[in-house]
Amino acid sequence: MSVGPLRLPLALPRITRVERDRVVAGVCAGIADAVAVDPTLVRLVFALLAFASGAGIVAYLGAWAMLPAPGSPVPPRGRRIGGLVLLVWAVILALRGLGLADSLVWPLALAAAGVVLATSSMTFGLRRRHLQAGAVVLVVLGIVLFVEQNSGGSASTLLAPGAVAVALMLVLVPWAFRLVRERDAERAERVRSEERADLAARVHDSVLQTLTLIQKEPGDARRLARRQERELRAWLYPDREAAAAGTLANAVESTAAEIEELHGVRVEVVRTGDAPLDERAQALVLAAREAMANAARHSGVEEVSVFLDAGAAGISLYVRDRGTGFDVEAVAADRRGLSESIRGRMERVGGNARIVSAPGEGTEVELELP
Amino acid sequence: MSIPLRRVVLVEDHDLFRAGVRAGLGPTVEVVGEAATVADAVPLIKALDPDVVLLDVHLPDGGGQAVIIQVAPERPGVKFLALSVSDAAEDVIGVIRAGARGYVTKAISGDELTAAVHRTADGDAVFSPRLAGFVLDAFRSGEAASDSELDQLTAREREVLQLIARGYSYKEIAARLHLSPRTVESHVSAVLRKLQLSSRHELTRWAAERRLI
Repeated sequence: MSVGPLRLPLALPRITRVERDRVVAGVCAGIADAVAVDPTLVRLVFALLAFASGAGIVAYLGAWAMLPAPGSPVPPRGRRIGGLVLLVWAVILALRGLGLADSLVWPLALAAAGVVLATSSMTFGLRRRHLQAGAVVLVVLGIVLFVEQNSGGSASTLLAPGAVAVALMLVLVPWAFRLVRERDAERAERVRSEERADLAARVHDSVLQTLTLIQKEPGDARRLARRQERELRAWLYPDREAAAAGTLANAVESTAAEIEELHGVRVEVVRTGDAPLDERAQALVLAAREAMANAARHSGVEEVSVFLDAGAAGISLYVRDRGTGFDVEAVAADRRGLSESIRGRMERVGGNARIVSAPGEGTEVELELP
Repeated sequence: MSIPLRRVVLVEDHDLFRAGVRAGLGPTVEVVGEAATVADAVPLIKALDPDVVLLDVHLPDGGGQAVIIQVAPERPGVKFLALSVSDAAEDVIGVIRAGARGYVTKAISGDELTAAVHRTADGDAVFSPRLAGFVLDAFRSGEAASDSELDQLTAREREVLQLIARGYSYKEIAARLHLSPRTVESHVSAVLRKLQLSSRHELTRWAAERRLI
């Protein structure tokens, strides 16, 4: 019989201990999660096994050592090997507890350990060849031990339990395989239907609500549509949003969104590069906010362009509109918004602000942080 | 000088958007044909041989790129201008690398779209501010230093792109940099060529991830 292509029916590495509804270390709940049964059932099995010469307790300790804690990678190699030894010990205890003769249990355990090693998907950090060599040695040892210990006994007493064990395996292994496969299919289906439900809920909460609002308040249509668009984008391209969370680019984007909400204009943000949102960058964002608000209030046009260029040499931010513009010299001295909120803010953090505008030619505010 | 009439085919799967685009285009642009799928668009464009194809990036049976790939070898004179609701870099890069001469979002006004159609028909490149921002990102100096000039932007090209990203029109850029509008156009076209031919990893990665090449 070839054991090469065979794999363990239960993919052990996918089981993890769980934090929620755990009783001792979350082992039973973790196994129950992985095979999709009630945790109480798994606990019951362990408890019953505990009566078989304490096999359940040893098995529990072994499983605890081998299974990764929730949210962490695989435990270290030494711990996994220790865990496996405990598990094998538990199997031996269980078999003896069920009344099998020592002369059968030990060879069986050795051979089983060999088969597990040969088919294991966990390599314990050993090379494949070493693993196979070890497996062959264990199986041979098991057979030798079996022949040696039972050469005097009668055939029937030996073969009966062996035959039963083989028959059980023939029945149980394909069954376990099928169970695992069905569980996987079921889980995939569940994920798909959850996604569908999520999408439906999302569309209902956002798009349908917005459409209803637009029908009630047609005057607000532009603003509502814009907000909806932004929300949908954030949802469709979450990686872009997540990558920028808590950074300068993100702060500029949300500031622009705020201005759009407040003033009903369109603020187009283009960005290249990004920077951490430290104190200076925050000052830049506040100055940019003031510039955007000015453009929204005074320019008389419905679109404001914002360009953020954050590179190694420094950060530049431009707020531009194609609106009415104004005479910078005449107005800058007494307009607090310009002098304090924009220029003063930038100068205090070592940057500078430049305002370029002329009546009829639009306005551009350039903010720089070296 | 009279403005030539441009013949345009509109490929877009949303009826509502097609109607909107048709209504918004000025009298100097004539929509000679419309298609909603790649399968309809390819023979239609080959038969009509228009000046410009306005092409939706997202089509149900293969996307705008599929149209360009099937039409361009046989009709090298037809120019493509991509339209999309999104400004996601992956959308842009696919169509541009397939051969589109430019990219605008559907939020563009009718007048701007008309101007963009004329620019495309003249063989110029049409960049939205967002596309300029993305190109600056992809060609950011200091990353993946390469000897190939296709992988670098010149200082002037960078300057022009920054101004596009800031919301300046070609004419405004020309005035600001004391260049002729033609020179600005040629810088942008050079950038488009680099975008199509460069092997910079940012570009190839996008393309490879989305199986665009």
